[in-house]
Amino acid sequence: MSPRSLRQFRALLVKDLRLELRTRDTAIAMLLFSVISMVIFQFAVGTRTEETTPFAGGILWATIALTAVLGVSRVYVPEREQRVLDGLLIAPVPRMVLMTSKAVAIVLYLLAVEIIAVPLVGIFFVEGSFAQDLPLILLTCLLANTGIGILGSLFASMALFSRAREVVLPVLFLPSLLPVVIAAAGATHSVFGVSNDMAEYRGFSLFLAVYAVIFGLVAYATYPFVFDD
Amino acid sequence: MTDSRSGRLLVVTGTATAALTALAVFGVFFVAPEDADQGIIQKIFYFHVAIAIASLVAFAVACISGVLYLRTRRERHDEVSSISIGIGLLFSGLVLVTGTIWAKASWGTWWVWGDPRLVTFLIVILLYAAYFVLRSRAEGERQRRYSAIYAIAAFASVPLSFYSVRIAQSFVHPVVFTQSGANMPDSMLVWFVVSQIAAFGLYLTMLQLELVQRRTEKRLRTLKTRVERLVAESPGA
Amino acid sequence: MDGVHVALASGESLVVLGPNGAGKTTLLRMLATLLRPDEGSLALLGHDCPEHADRARGAIGYLGHDPLVYLDLTAWQNLELFADLYGLDDPRTRIVDGLDAVGLLPRAYDPARTFSRGMVQRLGLARMLLHDPDLLLLDEPYAGLDARGRALLDEVLAAERAGRATVMVTHDVERGVAAADRALVLRAGRPVLSEPVTDVDPAAFRARYEDLVR
Repeated sequence: MSPRSLRQFRALLVKDLRLELRTRDTAIAMLLFSVISMVIFQFAVGTRTEETTPFAGGILWATIALTAVLGVSRVYVPEREQRVLDGLLIAPVPRMVLMTSKAVAIVLYLLAVEIIAVPLVGIFFVEGSFAQDLPLILLTCLLANTGIGILGSLFASMALFSRAREVVLPVLFLPSLLPVVIAAAGATHSVFGVSNDMAEYRGFSLFLAVYAVIFGLVAYATYPFVFDD
Repeated sequence: MTDSRSGRLLVVTGTATAALTALAVFGVFFVAPEDADQGIIQKIFYFHVAIAIASLVAFAVACISGVLYLRTRRERHDEVSSISIGIGLLFSGLVLVTGTIWAKASWGTWWVWGDPRLVTFLIVILLYAAYFVLRSRAEGERQRRYSAIYAIAAFASVPLSFYSVRIAQSFVHPVVFTQSGANMPDSMLVWFVVSQIAAFGLYLTMLQLELVQRRTEKRLRTLKTRVERLVAESPGA
Repeated sequence: MDGVHVALASGESLVVLGPNGAGKTTLLRMLATLLRPDEGSLALLGHDCPEHADRARGAIGYLGHDPLVYLDLTAWQNLELFADLYGLDDPRTRIVDGLDAVGLLPRAYDPARTFSRGMVQRLGLARMLLHDPDLLLLDEPYAGLDARGRALLDEVLAAERAGRATVMVTHDVERGVAAADRALVLRAGRPVLSEPVTDVDPAAFRARYEDLVR
């Protein structure tokens, strides 16, 4: 990125974070949603089994996938509600920079949720201590968030102009997200609580990295066209 | 006239496909040897795998047409892309149906989560059904552009879905193709190849049919507006 | 849109007139690089669009019905954002001057949401002028402005003509013609008139215009 693009990117990201810190609409909604989702999983699955530890990774990533849909659907809300999108599009900002700033915003929203959701899943569903597993799970979160952010920015931008946007986004987003959910749940499961299968963890982490790289390439090829009316 | 030429081409592909399909059905049921372990139900393999591969090829064509559309903005590429996804989706549905029949006969249950290929096709159907949801929600040039972008992204998802399902589950599908290649006698392989070509032919025929139909509809529409204008302009009307 | 040929020299100003749905806003959005033409060519400030749209964008100022500022950011934060997006040197001075010019300096640290409609539109005006554009694109600019904003805009259009081209879309025929060198009248996406109006009496032009679009 050129210094000029870097400055634009930083300005766009700071703008999104400022707006979010001011209203706190998105982060709080995502957080509450993730906790409610955990409670639902407890009564859907947890009460039917003696030991929930094997389900902890799955519950965490099912929760985060659904929460991500919520966050992604909100990522263009300031531009939409305050009708500023044209202002960004007439500025000499490469579309790649605009879309990347939204992708990073999604990554940061998810990280804010995960910092609370991961320990909470540990407390709710994992037997025994899990604190020693948190660094590895954080790495999984970072890898998964990258993929979710890249894809989320693309689909959020396309849903922006479609009718019935709130229906389109989950239908569009979740099927492509499925590999991330599967691999991140696998990686989390392989290290959460008593299980400690590093070979499995590495396999799933590698997959998450490959996913991020492939969709990074897709994004590189397609981001410039989304706002190219 | 390009129209009559594409019409003639359609007749050629259609006839060839019909002949190949008839040959494939005949060969698979009356010439190819019966599988020693699975018996008659193994015959479904020829069609199941052939249309599975044909549907993936259709999605690949849709992805390439999507790239071409973004580069040239020619409506033609969007038509090929969207029609291919429609056909691919139909084929994927048939893959699921034949797959469940095969599963029922082999394992006694309609659905097996442990079979990564079957599960992948379920995900593929969800992926490409979303294409039409997106398509129906946008208009004009934007519709074509978003469709192209999605066709590219969805095609990247297909192998990722397959590998994610595969690494998450044990591999229990009856292995007909091994990693190293075809694991069946030549007498079976010949008829599989015929089935595969017939499946590709079916895809091409349907693609051409739809393209010709859309072009005819478009010409009909322009003719209609021209007639209407003539009627409106004629003094006696 | 069909068959519109517009060539605008630097320093010239064009007013685009026409009834609702004539394609005025569409034309302006094409000039603003928000819409790409299906056919034909578009060169803005010497840059072919849409291929080199990014280079042209840096020199275009656009003000439409929406002021294109974030209501939940302060006036200062808004201009700071756009200063960064346009890659301006010495943003602080520019922001202070810009806010001062539209009379919003005392409210620099208040969120735009607390502003009146006219003040928000004035902030939009400051946003448009922040990077000192060579081409101004104005879509009904007077609609949202208060008396002070209108006077400011008139001043901008009259005073800083040197080297700056202007395209204005408006319903207000007399005001538009009075401010412009050329007029373009659109009807159903096609041009029905395109001529110089420097020495034309606005009231007389208005009568002709109404005949044209009837």
